[in-house]
Amino acid sequence: MNTPLEPFDFNRREFLRGGSVASLAALFGMVQTAAQDAKPAEAEKAVTVTNTGVIGLGTRGREAVTVLGSLSNGRVSALCDHYPSALKRAGTAAPKAKQYKDYRQLLADTEITAVVIATPPHQHRDIAVAALAAGKHVYLEVPMAATLEDARAIAQAARDAGKVVFQPGLQERSHPQSHFLLPFIRSGGAGRTIKARTQWHRKTSWRASSPNPEREKELNWKLYRETSPGLVGELGIHPIDTINWFLGQRPKSVMGFGSIQQWKDDRQTADTVQCIYEYSNDIHLSQELTLTNSFDSEYTMIYGTDAAVMMRENRAWMFKESDAPLLGWEVYARKDSFYKDLGIALVANATKIGAQGKNPMEEAPYPNPPLFYALESFLFNAHELTTGTKDFIENFGADDPKALADHLATLKLLPAPKWKDGFEATVVALTANEAVVGGKKILFQDEWFHV
Amino acid sequence: MKPPRLLLPNTIAPAIAIVLALTLAIALGSAAPSASAETLTRYQATPASKVTVHGTSTIHDWKMEGKIIGGHFEIDSNYPLETSAGKLPNLKVRSSAEVSIPVQSIKSGTKRMDEVMLEAMKQPEFPKITFKLTELSPRTGEHKPGDPLEFVSKGELTIGGVTRPVEMTVTMEKFEGNKLKVVGTTPIKMTNHGIKPPAPNIALGLIKVGDEVKVSFEWITARKMEAAK
Repeated sequence: MNTPLEPFDFNRREFLRGGSVASLAALFGMVQTAAQDAKPAEAEKAVTVTNTGVIGLGTRGREAVTVLGSLSNGRVSALCDHYPSALKRAGTAAPKAKQYKDYRQLLADTEITAVVIATPPHQHRDIAVAALAAGKHVYLEVPMAATLEDARAIAQAARDAGKVVFQPGLQERSHPQSHFLLPFIRSGGAGRTIKARTQWHRKTSWRASSPNPEREKELNWKLYRETSPGLVGELGIHPIDTINWFLGQRPKSVMGFGSIQQWKDDRQTADTVQCIYEYSNDIHLSQELTLTNSFDSEYTMIYGTDAAVMMRENRAWMFKESDAPLLGWEVYARKDSFYKDLGIALVANATKIGAQGKNPMEEAPYPNPPLFYALESFLFNAHELTTGTKDFIENFGADDPKALADHLATLKLLPAPKWKDGFEATVVALTANEAVVGGKKILFQDEWFHV
Repeated sequence: MKPPRLLLPNTIAPAIAIVLALTLAIALGSAAPSASAETLTRYQATPASKVTVHGTSTIHDWKMEGKIIGGHFEIDSNYPLETSAGKLPNLKVRSSAEVSIPVQSIKSGTKRMDEVMLEAMKQPEFPKITFKLTELSPRTGEHKPGDPLEFVSKGELTIGGVTRPVEMTVTMEKFEGNKLKVVGTTPIKMTNHGIKPPAPNIALGLIKVGDEVKVSFEWITARKMEAAK
């Protein structure tokens, strides 16, 4: 039976265990940091559902199809890929969706109001610009493009687009965990920021195979310089954006190193990469990415004078220094041990009794993938903007653009990155890749960020 | 589109209208010729309105807000809508109003609750809440100069496709020269309009929403033209 009391129901043994672990951990002065999550959306659709088309049906495009299906405000109404078997494969997850081989046909479909573009970045420009021109809401995966020129053209189109949402795929910006951590870091919860570090470690070739040699070449766009934004552009862009966002600034320079250590096929893209980004106040971010060793997977650290904060798989922990001031809440927070260190869970509900005694390593504070929150924001905001504009014009006419803009500014939207955030992150990541390719240091010029 | 109806409600025969117009002219002590007594001033909805719905539930009270109230209001041009008046004339005021609110413009601030309410109100089928004024009479008695003018309004309220008569007190106040603010509050029972109070399964389990809600509004209109017959 489902009663309002159920969530507070816990068994006594679990409570005692949780209590003792918590108090024991408190003795050692450790604290985890995370925000409470919403219930996953049902498959049944709300009346606010947005008919969405997914363009580009590789791994990322298929993930978008799955996520859209699980969102109450998402519906995959059209699929597009020029490769027939990719279309067929994605079609099994969205059997009712119309299938298009050419994205221009999908964009001409007036029933589709929003598109998710998940093609390789070097194909983004034409599709994104045409989608905006067709008046569609656009979710564009990052990097926004494979060249600065293409990225700028897309940014200009997004800036000049009418009443549509353009959301770059910086998914962390819509994640509830980020919105819990941002004020914590910015308000000095870990003291003054000293430095940052991020890594992405996997053992994988990054190569896709196909019986068709032409298709194989096409599938492996990530391996060749002409089409690849490199490890740092393709994957490193997310933590770079998180650090830029949390620090509230862009890096002044980037120094890059890259080499092919293991996957010595005909590829031109480094399988092992290191970058150092320089920020103001002599803060540096060091970034390591490799396809040759999986140790410690992926995470991002921000080191402060009072504590280090680790962000890992949409969870976060704080590691306090012994001389750091007592914040209070950490006494009750969930703790996890990392070899000789104790991590205090940085979670919004970490102090709730209900959370005690459960192993946070097993229990995900956010049951949905990051793309879920990003697309939820995208579709919600698209719907709000569309209906807000329609309601206003139907009742007050379209003669006063300022009054309409004022009205739209009152709409409460879900957090999402803007075209400018996507463009800036793309400029930084593509420039970092250039530094890696050339093995050099590059100073960022302000005008590179002008649109 | 139907041309806007500028005069009396259909229910009143023309003969009565003439008598009423004359009475009005006399009551107002106006020396205006009868042609001017037939004139209505039209106020058209403008942005900056506000509608608030206060409700209850088994968990906590809730509130939803909208910023769009469309439609128009017409009132006898000779009726003194001046708050400086010491006493309001005791008569029925020739007027008409058609008001409409897009259901989807009323928001709770949370995605899930908005979805639940839109579904309960059968929004795709009945996208608008409408109100049609049938009678407007001033509250008699002393009026403190400067206070908004008080009227009793009667009309037909349509929610979820079901029309019910409604009577409520509204106040009116001119401001910024050509603008008119109409303010009112009325309780509404969802079940009277065929709406089942939602009982969604959110977060902490089953929540039951109370049948009765309180709807308050601040409707901003502006004088656009003098309509004459």
